[in-house]
Amino acid sequence: MYKKSRIKYILGAILASAIFLTGCGARQTIEVSTVGEEWMEEVGLNEEKSVDELYEAALKEDVLIIYTVSTRVTKTKEAFEAAYPGLCVEVRDLRSPDLIDAVIANFESGKGECDIVICNDCSGDFKDKLIDTAMVVPYLPQDIKEKMKPGHVGQYISFLDEAEMIYYNSDSFDKVPIKNIWELTDEKYKGRIYMPSPLRSFSTYAFVGSSTLHDDDFISSYEEYFGKSYDLDKTHTPSENFWLTVSPNMVFTNSSDEVMEALNDGSADFGIMVSSKMRYREVGYSFEPIYELNPFTGCRTTNAVMVATGAKNPNCARLFIRFLLGEADGKGEGYKPFCTQGTWSARVDVPDGNDVPQNAIDLIDADQDYLIKNKEKIREFWAECLKSH
Amino acid sequence: MKRVYWSVLILLFSCLFTVGCGKTTQPTVLRVAIPYSDNVLDPSTNYYINWLEEQTGFDIEPVTVRQSSGKEYLDALFSSDSDIDIVMFGEQFELTDVELTDYVDSGYIYKNSHGEYYYPNYGRKAVGDCGQVLWINSEWLTTLGLPTPSTTSELKEVLKAFKEKDPNGNGKKDEIPLIGCRDFYSSNPCELILNSFVYNDPYHNRKCRNAEGQEVYATDLTSFKDGILYIRDLYSEGLLDPRTFEYNHKAFCEIVNSSADVVGAFTTDSISDVLYQGNPEIMAKFIHVAPLTGPKGVRYALKVERKPDIGAIISERSSHKTEAETLLDLMLTKDASLIARYGEEGVDWEYSDGVDVSIYRTASTIVTKNYIWNTSQNKHLNGIGAMNVPDKYLRGVTWNGVDSDAEYIDARAQMSCAPYLTDSSSEAEYDRNLAQYVDSVIRDFIVGDREAENPSEWIKLNKDISIRSNN
Repeated sequence: MYKKSRIKYILGAILASAIFLTGCGARQTIEVSTVGEEWMEEVGLNEEKSVDELYEAALKEDVLIIYTVSTRVTKTKEAFEAAYPGLCVEVRDLRSPDLIDAVIANFESGKGECDIVICNDCSGDFKDKLIDTAMVVPYLPQDIKEKMKPGHVGQYISFLDEAEMIYYNSDSFDKVPIKNIWELTDEKYKGRIYMPSPLRSFSTYAFVGSSTLHDDDFISSYEEYFGKSYDLDKTHTPSENFWLTVSPNMVFTNSSDEVMEALNDGSADFGIMVSSKMRYREVGYSFEPIYELNPFTGCRTTNAVMVATGAKNPNCARLFIRFLLGEADGKGEGYKPFCTQGTWSARVDVPDGNDVPQNAIDLIDADQDYLIKNKEKIREFWAECLKSH
Repeated sequence: MKRVYWSVLILLFSCLFTVGCGKTTQPTVLRVAIPYSDNVLDPSTNYYINWLEEQTGFDIEPVTVRQSSGKEYLDALFSSDSDIDIVMFGEQFELTDVELTDYVDSGYIYKNSHGEYYYPNYGRKAVGDCGQVLWINSEWLTTLGLPTPSTTSELKEVLKAFKEKDPNGNGKKDEIPLIGCRDFYSSNPCELILNSFVYNDPYHNRKCRNAEGQEVYATDLTSFKDGILYIRDLYSEGLLDPRTFEYNHKAFCEIVNSSADVVGAFTTDSISDVLYQGNPEIMAKFIHVAPLTGPKGVRYALKVERKPDIGAIISERSSHKTEAETLLDLMLTKDASLIARYGEEGVDWEYSDGVDVSIYRTASTIVTKNYIWNTSQNKHLNGIGAMNVPDKYLRGVTWNGVDSDAEYIDARAQMSCAPYLTDSSSEAEYDRNLAQYVDSVIRDFIVGDREAENPSEWIKLNKDISIRSNN
């Protein structure tokens, strides 16, 4: 059991570290990571336990509470409760920024009302606010760790890959209607391009923020499309100029769900949204992805699963994470709800949900450190963009 | 003796002085009946109540009501000696216009200085212009590999598959493809389906405007009959559940929310009217369906005018009627109503700088910081009592980030219906007696108690409508 005094100690350590780091003027995470390690050691998070042992220990614990950005985990929950009678899971479904705030509030209160965190980790906020502060810690059973694709196990466990990318309305167009990203700036698409507000959606923020690292690509694609030298306002970068030119054509939404619905009901010709929404094509939603676009169609994103530091139910959390990742052989029911169109598996032994591999799509990477470092600048730019919209 | 006299005199003056002081400093105590709510922790320490006390200088004494029906409570109240000044309504504890009239006629309700017998509540319920949305079990669609229906013929195919192909996978034929209830038009799927054949507005006696702008009864149009025949087929094939005409709203909600996962589709106004909030599993299952296109291309959404509910009344027996009016007038101001809806300014919400997107995709007016609506909290009364939240705030609020947030789900559904709202709606005033008659005939046609194919039945129906509407 995680005691209040222990939390006070941890908070004290974090505070001391923060003060120390502020004084140094450099970001060092080793101290705060140590706090997370201490807690992991205290509850024996990485001690080898069989599934039966974990189940037996979990039965003595309370209801497992998951903070998640994905509603798909509710299916995993149902399968988990059926597989392990006597265990109960409560899912709290939140959008990424709110989830981070909720995890921080939970940690600071010391109530231990969160056990597992499932969050999109591409914007940098997740790393900056939860991982670097050791409010969440990674856990993965050894027999699954061996099966993970490179780059998916480290400070955090990336259990599913997705992308934030451009889609088109397949009722309006029978084939991909654009080849160059600058085509979206055409006036004929005014009010016909839907995108979640970058200030409210992590994956959109990651895409638009990371795109600013690709000014050369914006210039070359501009010149290719317009057939002239790049001649836009020099007070803004080429990437900023692209977003400033395209945003009058845009309708900003709260989430990818709205984008998907606007594509489906014919309100939108194009939508920028998270790729996992492609599963809705199975229930008749009419939109298609744009895989090839000059210079790019979107940005790679991933979803992390972590244990909340101070979790009251560490054994149940371990058992659930095993289950979520499909158990040792990857064939368990827990991973299946996530292996749908628009997603790519984090395991070498589980096929991608999407037909087209991620490396065959024109995607850029989200540079988290860059996004963290330039957060204020990027947010200010988009706040102005949205205000003038 | 003289000394005794002076002592008595001083004592008397002291008494008088003390009594006088008491009269001028004791605040007026208003006894306010407030229905019990799981979402309000303790009215006596509630932030909003305290704020109202500070603003008025009154002492508000909340009296928790345990009855679930407004009528039941008022009957008991007015037959007792209870000295309640104000009764507040909200959540499931409601009072209809008809019920109110009975109490007014009996002289139990105070007519305020504005000439009104009640104080409104606007802002507690859905705010969209469409009054009925179809919700479908998306997990069943996925399991069966079916698309979301967009036409009435596709709907029938989907409902058939729901009935026959065991989408809940329990090996039993326990699926209910489509269900509703008898209590509300919004929960009766027949009303929604008819709008794929003709503009069907039960709130205005099913009157609509024809191409020439004249008001006609939809029941007098062939397309209405076509719609009834389509629904009758759904019924006879077991796709529309017979309990639609039997269940009350409570029983209907219970079966839709059942963990047995037996319902394929239903209709409602706000999703929160049916699905239990705080249950993300069920909320995630159902997705809205845009209005269906009928066989002749008709596709309407039911347009409704949002009217306030009865929020509070003052008892005629109250000995503090003026003070009660002051309190309730205050509750109707913008400042009070925003607390009543969103909680403490600066803590639970703040005015927006226009950067955020509202749930209706407009520039936001209010940003919620702690979204406490329909949660267990002690900042407000969760919509109980008098309230008047301007539309610009109700529609301009930001999303709280929870996928299963009913307001956000409703807003998205409303936006999908908006293109199909019609200008051909009637302004005819709802006639309860006429409506009850027409509703019963429609039911009879659907369940086969009357022959829907028999032209004389339709002639009789329309003749009866004409007679009843002229009386």
